[in-house]
Amino acid sequence: MKRLLFALSALAATVAVAAAVVIYGGLYDISATDQHLAPTYRILDVAMRRSIARRAANIVVPPLDAPPMLDRGLALYDAHCVQCHGAPGVAPEPFALGLTPAPANLAHTARAWPPADIYWVVRNGIKMTGMPAWQLRLSDADLWAVVAFVEKLPELSPRDYDGLTGALGPARTEEMPVRNRPDPERGKTAMQQYACVTCHRIPGLVGPHAPVGPPLDGIGSRTYIAGVLRNEPDNMIRWLRSPQDVNAASAMPNLGVGEQDARDIAAYLATLD
Amino acid sequence: MRVSTADLSSGSLFPAAIRATSPHRVLGRFAAVVCIVLAGCGDNPPPALGGDPDNGRLLLRQFGCGSCHRIPGVAAARGNVGPSLEGVATRVYLGGVLPNTPENMVRWIRNPKQFDPETAMPDLPIAEGQARDIVAYLQGLK
Repeated sequence: MKRLLFALSALAATVAVAAAVVIYGGLYDISATDQHLAPTYRILDVAMRRSIARRAANIVVPPLDAPPMLDRGLALYDAHCVQCHGAPGVAPEPFALGLTPAPANLAHTARAWPPADIYWVVRNGIKMTGMPAWQLRLSDADLWAVVAFVEKLPELSPRDYDGLTGALGPARTEEMPVRNRPDPERGKTAMQQYACVTCHRIPGLVGPHAPVGPPLDGIGSRTYIAGVLRNEPDNMIRWLRSPQDVNAASAMPNLGVGEQDARDIAAYLATLD
Repeated sequence: MRVSTADLSSGSLFPAAIRATSPHRVLGRFAAVVCIVLAGCGDNPPPALGGDPDNGRLLLRQFGCGSCHRIPGVAAARGNVGPSLEGVATRVYLGGVLPNTPENMVRWIRNPKQFDPETAMPDLPIAEGQARDIVAYLQGLK
Protein backbone atom coordinates (compact mmCIF):
# COMPACT_ATOMS: atom_id res chain seq x y z
CA MET A 1 0.00 0.00 0.00
CA LYS A 2 2.77 2.38 0.98
CA ARG A 3 4.65 1.45 -2.17
CA LEU A 4 1.56 2.12 -4.30
CA LEU A 5 1.10 5.54 -2.70
CA PHE A 6 4.74 6.35 -3.35
CA ALA A 7 4.44 5.27 -6.98
CA LEU A 8 1.31 7.36 -7.44
CA SER A 9 2.93 10.44 -5.89
CA ALA A 10 5.98 10.00 -8.09
CA LEU A 11 3.76 9.73 -11.15
CA ALA A 12 1.79 12.85 -10.17
CA ALA A 13 5.02 14.78 -9.60
CA THR A 14 6.38 13.69 -12.99
CA VAL A 15 3.17 14.77 -14.74
CA ALA A 16 3.24 18.13 -12.94
CA VAL A 17 6.87 18.73 -13.93
CA ALA A 18 6.16 17.74 -17.54
CA ALA A 19 3.13 20.07 -17.64
CA ALA A 20 5.23 22.92 -16.17
CA VAL A 21 7.96 22.34 -18.77
CA VAL A 22 5.38 22.42 -21.62
CA ILE A 23 3.62 25.51 -20.29
CA TYR A 24 6.53 27.61 -18.98
CA GLY A 25 8.89 26.39 -21.66
CA GLY A 26 6.46 27.76 -24.29
CA LEU A 27 6.39 24.40 -26.04
CA TYR A 28 2.67 24.55 -26.83
CA ASP A 29 2.15 26.10 -30.27
CA ILE A 30 -0.65 28.64 -29.82
CA SER A 31 -0.66 29.78 -33.49
CA ALA A 32 -3.94 29.64 -35.42
CA THR A 33 -2.18 27.83 -38.27
CA ASP A 34 -1.27 24.88 -36.04
CA GLN A 35 -4.35 22.65 -36.15
CA HIS A 36 -5.44 20.67 -33.09
CA LEU A 37 -4.55 17.01 -32.81
CA ALA A 38 -7.58 14.95 -33.88
CA PRO A 39 -8.35 13.67 -30.33
CA THR A 40 -8.06 17.20 -28.89
CA TYR A 41 -10.48 18.48 -31.51
CA ARG A 42 -12.95 15.69 -30.79
CA ILE A 43 -12.85 16.30 -27.03
CA LEU A 44 -13.34 20.06 -27.43
CA ASP A 45 -16.17 19.53 -29.93
CA VAL A 46 -18.05 17.01 -27.78
CA ALA A 47 -17.57 19.17 -24.66
CA MET A 48 -18.99 22.17 -26.54
CA ARG A 49 -22.01 20.27 -27.90
CA ARG A 50 -22.82 18.71 -24.52
CA SER A 51 -22.43 22.02 -22.70
CA ILE A 52 -24.77 23.80 -25.12
CA ALA A 53 -27.36 21.00 -25.17
CA ARG A 54 -27.49 20.95 -21.38
CA ARG A 55 -27.92 24.69 -21.06
CA ALA A 56 -30.44 24.99 -23.89
CA ALA A 57 -32.60 22.10 -22.73
CA ASN A 58 -35.34 24.22 -21.15
CA ILE A 59 -35.51 27.00 -23.72
CA VAL A 60 -38.99 27.35 -25.23
CA VAL A 61 -38.77 28.07 -28.96
CA PRO A 62 -41.30 30.64 -30.23
CA PRO A 63 -42.85 30.38 -33.74
CA LEU A 64 -40.08 31.25 -36.21
CA ASP A 65 -41.98 31.58 -39.49
CA ALA A 66 -43.47 35.09 -39.39
CA PRO A 67 -42.28 37.05 -42.47
CA PRO A 68 -41.49 40.27 -40.52
CA MET A 69 -39.31 38.18 -38.21
CA LEU A 70 -37.47 36.66 -41.18
CA ASP A 71 -36.91 40.09 -42.72
CA ARG A 72 -35.55 41.38 -39.43
CA GLY A 73 -33.39 38.27 -39.10
CA LEU A 74 -31.99 38.77 -42.60
CA ALA A 75 -31.09 42.39 -41.82
CA LEU A 76 -29.35 41.36 -38.60
CA TYR A 77 -27.58 38.45 -40.32
CA ASP A 78 -26.36 40.82 -43.00
CA ALA A 79 -25.17 43.33 -40.38
CA HIS A 80 -23.55 41.00 -37.82
CA CYS A 81 -23.16 37.37 -38.97
CA VAL A 82 -22.24 37.05 -42.66
CA GLN A 83 -18.81 38.63 -42.07
CA CYS A 84 -17.60 35.53 -40.20
CA HIS A 85 -20.01 32.77 -41.18
CA GLY A 86 -20.60 33.58 -44.85
CA ALA A 87 -23.90 32.70 -46.53
CA PRO A 88 -25.00 30.58 -49.51
CA GLY A 89 -22.38 31.39 -52.15
CA VAL A 90 -20.87 34.17 -50.00
CA ALA A 91 -17.41 33.79 -48.41
CA PRO A 92 -16.54 35.00 -44.92
CA GLU A 93 -14.33 38.10 -44.72
CA PRO A 94 -10.55 37.47 -44.82
CA PHE A 95 -10.11 38.05 -41.07
CA ALA A 96 -12.65 35.30 -40.33
CA LEU A 97 -10.82 32.83 -42.57
CA GLY A 98 -7.76 33.20 -40.33
CA LEU A 99 -9.62 32.13 -37.18
CA THR A 100 -9.12 28.83 -35.36
CA PRO A 101 -11.62 27.33 -34.91
CA ALA A 102 -13.14 28.46 -38.21
CA PRO A 103 -16.66 29.90 -37.88
CA ALA A 104 -19.25 27.27 -38.77
CA ASN A 105 -21.22 27.12 -42.01
CA LEU A 106 -24.65 27.92 -40.62
CA ALA A 107 -26.68 26.23 -43.38
CA HIS A 108 -25.27 23.01 -42.00
CA THR A 109 -25.71 24.08 -38.37
CA ALA A 110 -29.39 24.81 -39.03
CA ARG A 111 -29.87 21.27 -40.31
CA ALA A 112 -27.86 19.57 -37.58
CA TRP A 113 -28.71 21.59 -34.43
CA PRO A 114 -32.04 22.31 -32.70
CA PRO A 115 -33.08 26.01 -32.86
CA ALA A 116 -32.89 26.33 -29.04
CA ASP A 117 -29.17 25.46 -29.17
CA ILE A 118 -28.54 28.02 -31.90
CA TYR A 119 -30.39 30.65 -29.85
CA TRP A 120 -28.29 29.82 -26.80
CA VAL A 121 -25.05 30.23 -28.77
CA VAL A 122 -26.08 33.56 -30.32
CA ARG A 123 -27.14 34.79 -26.89
CA ASN A 124 -24.15 33.55 -24.87
CA GLY A 125 -21.28 33.12 -27.32
CA ILE A 126 -18.65 30.37 -27.04
CA LYS A 127 -15.53 30.75 -24.94
CA MET A 128 -12.16 30.39 -26.69
CA THR A 129 -13.69 30.75 -30.12
CA GLY A 130 -14.40 33.96 -32.05
CA MET A 131 -18.13 33.67 -31.25
CA PRO A 132 -19.28 36.66 -29.21
CA ALA A 133 -22.29 36.82 -26.86
CA TRP A 134 -25.00 39.06 -28.32
CA GLN A 135 -27.29 39.31 -25.28
CA LEU A 136 -26.16 42.82 -24.31
CA ARG A 137 -26.30 44.07 -27.89
CA LEU A 138 -29.50 42.53 -29.28
CA SER A 139 -32.98 42.30 -27.76
CA ASP A 140 -34.47 38.89 -27.15
CA ALA A 141 -36.83 39.37 -30.11
CA ASP A 142 -33.83 40.15 -32.32
CA LEU A 143 -31.93 37.10 -31.08
CA TRP A 144 -34.88 34.94 -32.13
CA ALA A 145 -35.13 36.77 -35.46
CA VAL A 146 -31.52 35.79 -36.17
CA VAL A 147 -32.33 32.18 -35.28
CA ALA A 148 -35.41 32.30 -37.53
CA PHE A 149 -33.32 33.42 -40.49
CA VAL A 150 -30.55 30.89 -39.81
CA GLU A 151 -33.23 28.17 -39.83
CA LYS A 152 -34.13 29.25 -43.39
CA LEU A 153 -30.54 29.23 -44.70
CA PRO A 154 -30.56 25.56 -45.81
CA GLU A 155 -33.55 26.29 -48.07
CA LEU A 156 -31.85 29.20 -49.84
CA SER A 157 -29.77 28.57 -52.96
CA PRO A 158 -26.94 31.03 -53.66
CA ARG A 159 -29.26 32.70 -56.21
CA ASP A 160 -32.04 33.02 -53.62
CA TYR A 161 -29.64 34.63 -51.17
CA ASP A 162 -28.31 36.96 -53.81
CA GLY A 163 -31.89 37.93 -54.63
CA LEU A 164 -32.44 38.87 -51.00
CA THR A 165 -29.25 40.84 -50.45
CA GLY A 166 -27.37 41.47 -53.69
CA ALA A 167 -24.38 40.09 -51.83
CA LEU A 168 -22.60 38.25 -54.64
CA GLY A 169 -20.11 40.84 -55.76
CA PRO A 170 -17.09 40.57 -58.05
CA ALA A 171 -14.09 38.61 -56.83
CA ARG A 172 -11.60 40.21 -54.48
CA THR A 173 -8.46 40.95 -56.44
CA GLU A 174 -5.64 41.41 -53.92
CA GLU A 175 -2.75 39.35 -55.27
CA MET A 176 0.16 37.80 -53.43
CA PRO A 177 3.41 37.02 -55.27
CA VAL A 178 3.93 33.51 -56.64
CA ARG A 179 7.25 32.31 -55.28
CA ASN A 180 7.56 28.61 -55.06
CA ARG A 181 6.87 25.30 -56.70
CA PRO A 182 3.56 23.79 -55.52
CA ASP A 183 3.98 22.50 -51.96
CA PRO A 184 1.35 20.01 -50.73
CA GLU A 185 2.22 20.52 -47.05
CA ARG A 186 1.79 24.27 -47.35
CA GLY A 187 -1.45 23.54 -49.24
CA LYS A 188 -2.73 21.59 -46.26
CA THR A 189 -2.14 24.58 -43.98
CA ALA A 190 -3.73 26.86 -46.58
CA MET A 191 -6.87 24.68 -46.66
CA GLN A 192 -7.18 25.05 -42.90
CA GLN A 193 -6.68 28.80 -43.25
CA TYR A 194 -9.33 29.14 -45.98
CA ALA A 195 -11.76 27.29 -43.67
CA CYS A 196 -12.34 24.54 -46.26
CA VAL A 197 -13.22 22.09 -43.45
CA THR A 198 -16.31 24.09 -42.57
CA CYS A 199 -17.90 22.71 -45.76
CA HIS A 200 -15.91 19.60 -46.79
CA ARG A 201 -14.58 16.46 -45.20
CA ILE A 202 -10.85 16.52 -45.97
CA PRO A 203 -8.47 13.68 -45.03
CA GLY A 204 -5.52 14.94 -42.98
CA LEU A 205 -7.32 18.00 -41.57
CA VAL A 206 -9.30 18.30 -38.34
CA GLY A 207 -12.48 20.34 -38.17
CA PRO A 208 -16.24 20.03 -38.31
CA HIS A 209 -16.06 18.27 -41.69
CA ALA A 210 -19.57 19.57 -42.30
CA PRO A 211 -21.24 18.01 -45.35
CA VAL A 212 -22.13 21.29 -47.03
CA GLY A 213 -20.26 20.25 -50.17
CA PRO A 214 -19.02 16.77 -51.09
CA PRO A 215 -16.31 14.94 -49.14
CA LEU A 216 -12.87 15.31 -50.73
CA ASP A 217 -11.70 11.75 -50.06
CA GLY A 218 -10.42 10.46 -53.38
CA ILE A 219 -10.58 13.91 -55.04
CA GLY A 220 -7.13 13.30 -56.53
CA SER A 221 -8.55 10.64 -58.82
CA ARG A 222 -12.05 12.05 -59.34
CA THR A 223 -12.87 12.65 -63.01
CA TYR A 224 -14.66 15.99 -62.66
CA ILE A 225 -14.30 19.02 -60.42
CA ALA A 226 -17.68 20.33 -59.25
CA GLY A 227 -19.28 18.04 -61.84
CA VAL A 228 -18.17 20.42 -64.57
CA LEU A 229 -14.39 20.66 -65.15
CA ARG A 230 -11.95 17.90 -66.08
CA ASN A 231 -9.84 17.27 -62.99
CA GLU A 232 -6.47 18.67 -64.08
CA PRO A 233 -4.15 20.89 -62.00
CA ASP A 234 -4.83 24.07 -63.98
CA ASN A 235 -8.59 23.52 -63.77
CA MET A 236 -8.41 22.86 -60.04
CA ILE A 237 -6.50 26.11 -59.55
CA ARG A 238 -9.06 27.97 -61.66
CA TRP A 239 -11.95 26.43 -59.70
CA LEU A 240 -10.37 27.17 -56.31
CA ARG A 241 -9.69 30.77 -57.22
CA SER A 242 -12.98 31.63 -58.88
CA PRO A 243 -15.79 29.07 -58.60
CA GLN A 244 -18.39 31.47 -59.99
CA ASP A 245 -16.46 31.84 -63.24
CA VAL A 246 -16.92 28.10 -63.70
CA ASN A 247 -20.47 27.86 -62.39
CA ALA A 248 -22.29 31.09 -61.58
CA ALA A 249 -24.84 29.23 -59.42
CA SER A 250 -22.29 27.43 -57.25
CA ALA A 251 -22.65 27.48 -53.48
CA MET A 252 -18.85 27.36 -53.21
CA PRO A 253 -17.89 30.96 -52.51
CA ASN A 254 -15.00 32.93 -53.92
CA LEU A 255 -12.65 32.87 -50.92
CA GLY A 256 -10.04 35.16 -52.42
CA VAL A 257 -7.54 32.30 -52.75
CA GLY A 258 -4.17 33.57 -53.99
CA GLU A 259 -2.42 31.94 -56.97
CA GLN A 260 0.35 30.38 -54.86
CA ASP A 261 -2.15 29.15 -52.27
CA ALA A 262 -4.34 27.64 -55.00
CA ARG A 263 -1.33 25.84 -56.50
CA ASP A 264 -0.35 24.46 -53.11
CA ILE A 265 -3.92 23.40 -52.28
CA ALA A 266 -4.27 21.71 -55.69
CA ALA A 267 -1.00 19.87 -54.98
CA TYR A 268 -2.35 18.61 -51.65
CA LEU A 269 -5.69 17.57 -53.15
CA ALA A 270 -3.86 15.65 -55.87
CA THR A 271 -2.36 13.45 -53.15
CA LEU A 272 -5.82 12.35 -51.94
CA ASP A 273 -6.41 9.16 -53.88
CA MET B 1 -25.71 47.07 -45.60
CA ARG B 2 -26.98 45.88 -48.91
CA VAL B 3 -30.66 45.46 -48.09
CA SER B 4 -32.85 48.52 -48.23
CA THR B 5 -35.02 49.23 -45.23
CA ALA B 6 -38.06 49.59 -47.46
CA ASP B 7 -37.54 46.06 -48.78
CA LEU B 8 -37.25 44.72 -45.28
CA SER B 9 -40.31 46.40 -43.82
CA SER B 10 -42.45 45.42 -46.81
CA GLY B 11 -42.21 41.79 -45.75
CA SER B 12 -42.01 40.86 -49.43
CA LEU B 13 -38.44 39.62 -49.56
CA PHE B 14 -39.32 36.05 -48.81
CA PRO B 15 -41.26 34.17 -51.46
CA ALA B 16 -44.17 32.17 -50.07
CA ALA B 17 -42.34 28.92 -50.79
CA ILE B 18 -39.53 29.93 -48.46
CA ARG B 19 -41.87 31.18 -45.73
CA ALA B 20 -43.83 27.99 -45.60
CA THR B 21 -42.32 25.22 -43.55
CA SER B 22 -43.07 22.03 -45.41
CA PRO B 23 -44.83 19.29 -43.41
CA HIS B 24 -42.09 16.87 -44.46
CA ARG B 25 -39.45 19.04 -42.88
CA VAL B 26 -41.36 19.40 -39.64
CA LEU B 27 -42.09 15.68 -39.51
CA GLY B 28 -38.51 14.81 -40.40
CA ARG B 29 -37.14 17.06 -37.68
CA PHE B 30 -39.62 15.74 -35.15
CA ALA B 31 -38.64 12.18 -35.99
CA ALA B 32 -34.95 13.08 -35.81
CA VAL B 33 -35.38 14.72 -32.40
CA VAL B 34 -37.35 11.74 -31.09
CA CYS B 35 -34.61 9.42 -32.32
CA ILE B 36 -31.91 11.49 -30.63
CA VAL B 37 -33.91 11.62 -27.39
CA LEU B 38 -34.51 7.88 -27.40
CA ALA B 39 -30.84 7.20 -28.11
CA GLY B 40 -30.51 3.79 -29.62
CA CYS B 41 -34.08 3.57 -30.83
CA GLY B 42 -34.35 1.25 -33.81
CA ASP B 43 -37.16 2.95 -35.74
CA ASN B 44 -36.09 5.14 -38.63
CA PRO B 45 -38.23 8.04 -39.82
CA PRO B 46 -40.60 7.09 -42.64
CA PRO B 47 -38.95 7.13 -46.10
CA ALA B 48 -38.86 10.51 -47.81
CA LEU B 49 -41.86 11.30 -50.04
CA GLY B 50 -43.34 7.86 -49.41
CA GLY B 51 -40.90 6.20 -51.83
CA ASP B 52 -39.74 2.59 -51.53
CA PRO B 53 -36.07 2.58 -50.48
CA ASP B 54 -35.52 -1.07 -51.42
CA ASN B 55 -36.74 -0.46 -54.94
CA GLY B 56 -34.64 2.71 -54.94
CA ARG B 57 -31.51 0.70 -54.25
CA LEU B 58 -32.39 -1.64 -57.11
CA LEU B 59 -32.97 1.34 -59.44
CA LEU B 60 -29.63 2.89 -58.48
CA ARG B 61 -28.04 -0.28 -59.82
CA GLN B 62 -30.28 -0.48 -62.88
CA PHE B 63 -29.51 3.08 -63.96
CA GLY B 64 -25.79 2.50 -63.47
CA CYS B 65 -25.40 5.30 -60.92
CA GLY B 66 -22.52 3.37 -59.36
CA SER B 67 -20.34 3.77 -62.42
CA CYS B 68 -19.94 7.45 -61.48
CA HIS B 69 -20.71 7.53 -57.73
CA ARG B 70 -19.64 5.61 -54.67
CA ILE B 71 -22.95 4.57 -53.04
CA PRO B 72 -22.98 2.76 -49.69
CA GLY B 73 -25.08 -0.41 -49.81
CA VAL B 74 -25.22 -0.62 -53.60
CA ALA B 75 -23.17 -3.45 -55.06
CA ALA B 76 -20.17 -2.41 -57.17
CA ALA B 77 -21.01 1.30 -56.82
CA ARG B 78 -17.41 2.50 -56.65
CA GLY B 79 -17.28 5.24 -59.27
CA ASN B 80 -15.19 8.34 -58.71
CA VAL B 81 -16.42 10.40 -61.65
CA GLY B 82 -18.75 12.43 -59.45
CA PRO B 83 -18.74 12.79 -55.67
CA SER B 84 -19.32 9.96 -53.23
CA LEU B 85 -22.95 9.70 -52.06
CA GLU B 86 -21.88 8.57 -48.61
CA GLY B 87 -23.91 10.68 -46.14
CA VAL B 88 -25.72 12.46 -48.99
CA ALA B 89 -28.86 12.84 -46.83
CA THR B 90 -26.99 15.27 -44.58
CA ARG B 91 -25.38 17.24 -47.39
CA VAL B 92 -26.58 20.84 -47.61
CA TYR B 93 -26.43 21.32 -51.42
CA LEU B 94 -27.07 19.06 -54.41
CA GLY B 95 -24.70 19.46 -57.32
CA GLY B 96 -23.27 22.41 -55.39
CA VAL B 97 -26.23 24.56 -56.46
CA LEU B 98 -29.56 23.30 -55.08
CA PRO B 99 -30.68 23.14 -51.40
CA ASN B 100 -30.92 19.47 -50.46
CA THR B 101 -34.58 18.65 -49.80
CA PRO B 102 -36.25 15.39 -50.88
CA GLU B 103 -38.33 17.32 -53.44
CA ASN B 104 -35.25 19.03 -54.91
CA MET B 105 -33.40 15.71 -55.02
CA VAL B 106 -36.19 14.23 -57.17
CA ARG B 107 -35.86 17.21 -59.55
CA TRP B 108 -32.07 17.02 -59.62
CA ILE B 109 -32.01 13.28 -60.34
CA ARG B 110 -34.49 13.64 -63.20
CA ASN B 111 -33.13 16.83 -64.81
CA PRO B 112 -29.73 17.88 -63.47
CA LYS B 113 -29.08 20.05 -66.52
CA GLN B 114 -32.11 22.15 -65.67
CA PHE B 115 -30.22 23.38 -62.60
CA ASP B 116 -26.70 23.33 -63.97
CA PRO B 117 -26.47 23.30 -67.80
CA GLU B 118 -22.75 22.50 -67.63
CA THR B 119 -22.97 19.53 -65.31
CA ALA B 120 -21.41 16.24 -66.37
CA MET B 121 -24.33 14.40 -64.76
CA PRO B 122 -26.58 13.20 -67.59
CA ASP B 123 -30.37 13.59 -67.79
CA LEU B 124 -31.42 9.92 -67.49
CA PRO B 125 -34.93 8.70 -68.40
CA ILE B 126 -36.02 8.30 -64.77
CA ALA B 127 -39.76 8.44 -64.04
CA GLU B 128 -41.11 10.55 -61.17
CA GLY B 129 -42.08 7.47 -59.11
CA GLN B 130 -38.68 5.88 -59.72
CA ALA B 131 -36.93 9.07 -58.64
CA ARG B 132 -39.01 9.06 -55.43
CA ASP B 133 -37.87 5.52 -54.68
CA ILE B 134 -34.23 6.47 -55.32
CA VAL B 135 -34.59 9.52 -53.08
CA ALA B 136 -36.15 7.35 -50.35
CA TYR B 137 -32.97 5.25 -50.43
CA LEU B 138 -30.53 8.16 -50.66
CA GLN B 139 -32.23 10.10 -47.85
CA GLY B 140 -31.44 7.11 -45.64
CA LEU B 141 -27.68 7.63 -46.19
CA LYS B 142 -26.86 9.75 -43.14
